[in-house]
Amino acid sequence: MIEIDYIYPEIFLILSLLILLVLGVFKKNSYDLIKKITTICFLICIPIVYLNNINDLVIFKNSYAVDSLSNYLKILILISTTFSLIFTGDYIKIQKLDKFEYPLLILSAVIGMFLMVSSNDLIGLYLGIELQSLSLYVLASIDRESEKSTESGVKYFVLGALSSGLFLYGCSIIYGFTGSTNYYVISESLKASTNIPILFGIIFVIIGLAFKISAVPFHMWSPDVYEGSPTSVTSFFALAPKIAGLGAIIRILYICFENIYVEWKAIIIFISIASMLLGAFAAIGQTNLKRLMAYSSISHIGYVLASLTTNTKDGVISAISYLNIYIIMMISSFACILLFKRKNIYFENINDLSGLSKNHPVIAFCFAATLFSLAGIPPLAGFFAKFYVFKSVIEANMIFLAIIGLIASVISAFYYLRIVKIMYFDDQKDKFDEVETLGIKFSILVSSLIILFYFISPSFILEFVEVASKIIN
Amino acid sequence: MLAHAIVFYFFSIITIFSSIMVISAKNTIHAVFFLILDFVSISCLFIMLGAEFLGMITLIVYVGAVAVLFLFVVMMININFSELKSGFLNYLPFGSLIGLVILLELFIMVGAWKYKPEFLNTSDLTFSKNISNTESIGNVIYTDYIHYFQISGVILLVAMIGAILLTFQKRDFLKRQSITDQVSRERSDSVIIKKVESFKGVKIDD
Repeated sequence: MIEIDYIYPEIFLILSLLILLVLGVFKKNSYDLIKKITTICFLICIPIVYLNNINDLVIFKNSYAVDSLSNYLKILILISTTFSLIFTGDYIKIQKLDKFEYPLLILSAVIGMFLMVSSNDLIGLYLGIELQSLSLYVLASIDRESEKSTESGVKYFVLGALSSGLFLYGCSIIYGFTGSTNYYVISESLKASTNIPILFGIIFVIIGLAFKISAVPFHMWSPDVYEGSPTSVTSFFALAPKIAGLGAIIRILYICFENIYVEWKAIIIFISIASMLLGAFAAIGQTNLKRLMAYSSISHIGYVLASLTTNTKDGVISAISYLNIYIIMMISSFACILLFKRKNIYFENINDLSGLSKNHPVIAFCFAATLFSLAGIPPLAGFFAKFYVFKSVIEANMIFLAIIGLIASVISAFYYLRIVKIMYFDDQKDKFDEVETLGIKFSILVSSLIILFYFISPSFILEFVEVASKIIN
Repeated sequence: MLAHAIVFYFFSIITIFSSIMVISAKNTIHAVFFLILDFVSISCLFIMLGAEFLGMITLIVYVGAVAVLFLFVVMMININFSELKSGFLNYLPFGSLIGLVILLELFIMVGAWKYKPEFLNTSDLTFSKNISNTESIGNVIYTDYIHYFQISGVILLVAMIGAILLTFQKRDFLKRQSITDQVSRERSDSVIIKKVESFKGVKIDD
C-alpha cells in the first residue's frame, strides 16, 4: 500500500509511544530518561513531517489530508509541545509528578492532535478529539494528592464528555442528511441543497469544537481547569490543543462547510465577539495568574475566530499567524510563571510579583515585554498579530467586528498593565529562587527575543503561513 | 412464520417483563440479575433479526463485562437503594411525561418512515446478502477503516494508561515474599554455634 508512505509521522509517534511505554514499565524511576527520549522523538518528528510535505494529498479514501496546512500545524504542535516539555522539568520534580506516564500522555495527546488537524472526515476528527481529550483529562488530574487537580480533572472530563456528545449528535444529523461523513461529499451535497435541519447539525458540530478551544459561551471549564491543574499541564493546555482545535475548525469551516458560508458566518461572529469581550472583562477581577492566562487565552481565541469569519484566504493566513505569535507569547509567559518559586513553593498570585523588577530585573523585563505583547502594544509581536487580524477583517467589510476587537484589546490592556505596575512600582518582597535549569532559560530567551525583535522582519512568519494555506481557495 | 412469531413474542415479553423488574425489584441483586436476563433476551432478538454479530457483542460486552461489573459494585458497596427510591412517587408525573414524549416521538418517526416515499428504506442499502455480518464488518474494518481501527486501539491504550496512573498506588511498606531469597538462604546465614562457658554467659547481639 502506497498510502502508508504519507503517514510516517503518525506511525513514528505511535511506535515510540509503545516502545517508551514498555521501557517505562520495566525500568524503575525512568521519568527522566523517558522525558528526554520523548523530547528527542518530537524533535526527530519535525523533519519527518517536513519531508512529508511533497504534494498535497488526501489519502485513505479522502478521509485523511496530508497537505501543507496540516503539515505546518503539525510542526507548530511539535515545537510548542517540545517547549512545554523542556521548560517544566523543575516543576514536575518539585511537585513530585515525575511519573513516566506524564510524557507518554503528552505524546498520545500529540498523536490525537495530528489526527485532528489532518482529518478530512467526521469520524476521524472525532477519534482525534477523543484521543487528545482522554490524555488531557488524565493529565489535568495527574496530581492525585491535590484536591484542586482532581476537581479540575473531573470537571474537564464531565464537560468534555458532554461536548463530545453534542459533537457526535451534530455529526449524526449531518450524516443523516448528506449520507456521508466525508468533508468533500458533505460539501458537495450542501452545494446542491441546504435545509434548516442540517443547520442544527452544523451548529452542534461547531459547539463541540468551540468547547475544545474554550470559546465563549463554552468556556466555563477553562479557568477552573487552568487553575486546578499543575502549572506544567496548564502550560501544555494553553499551547498545543488550541492549535489542533483551530486546525480542525479551519478545515471544517473552509472545506466541509465552504458552500454555506452565510449560515456559519453569524455563529462564528457571535462566538468571536463574545470571546473577545468576556476575555477582556472577566480577567479584570482575577488575582490568580493561571486564571488570568485562561481568560487571556479565551480572548485571543476570539481574535483568531474573528479573522476566520472573513471566509478569505487572507483570513486564514492572519488566523494562523495570530496563532503562531500567541504560541510564542504563551511559551514566554508560562516559562516566567514557572520561575516564581521561593524555597520550592510556587507562587501563582499576582500580588506575589510585587517589586519583581528590583530583585530580578531580567525576568521582570521579559515578563513585562510578554505582557505588553499580549496587550498588543507596538512594536512587539502581539501588535502585528492583532494588526493582521484587523486588516483582514476590515478588508472583508466587517468594520464593526474590528471596532469591537479594538475596544476589547484596550480593555484587556488594563489587566496586563496592572501586572507590569505591580512588578515595577510596588513594594519589594523576598527574592525568588535562582534559575538553575537550562530549559527554562532557553525558552524565555528564545521567546522573548522573538517577541522583542519580531518587527525587524514581520513578513517572516507570513511567508511560511502563506505557503501553508495554499490549499484554501 | 407462526414459529417465528411465537419465538419473537416469547423473547419480547421476557424483555419487557425483566426491564420492568429492573426498576421495581426490592433487592438490588435481583435487579441486576433481571438486567442480565434483559440483555440476554435482547441479544436473542438481535439474532432473530439476522444481526448475529450485534447479538453476540451484546452478550459478550453487556452480560459478560458490564452487568457482572454492576453485580460486583452492588455487592461491594452495599448501598441502601430503598432510600434512593423513596422519592419515586414525587418524580412519577414528570418521569411519565418524559416517557410519553419519547413514545410520541417514536410514533412520529415511524409514521414519517412509513408514509414518506423519499425516505431511504432497507432495499436501497447496498450490501451482499451472501456474506455474514461478521465478515462484512471485517471486510471494511481491515481495509477502508484500518486507520480508525488502529486509532481506536490507541485510545483504549491511553484509557488504560490513564486508569492505572490515576488509581495505582505503590505501597512500599508491604512485606512481599521473595522466593529467590528464601531458596538461596544458607544455614550459615542464620545459625551460629557458640560455646557457652559456665558462669560467664554469652552475648547474642554482636
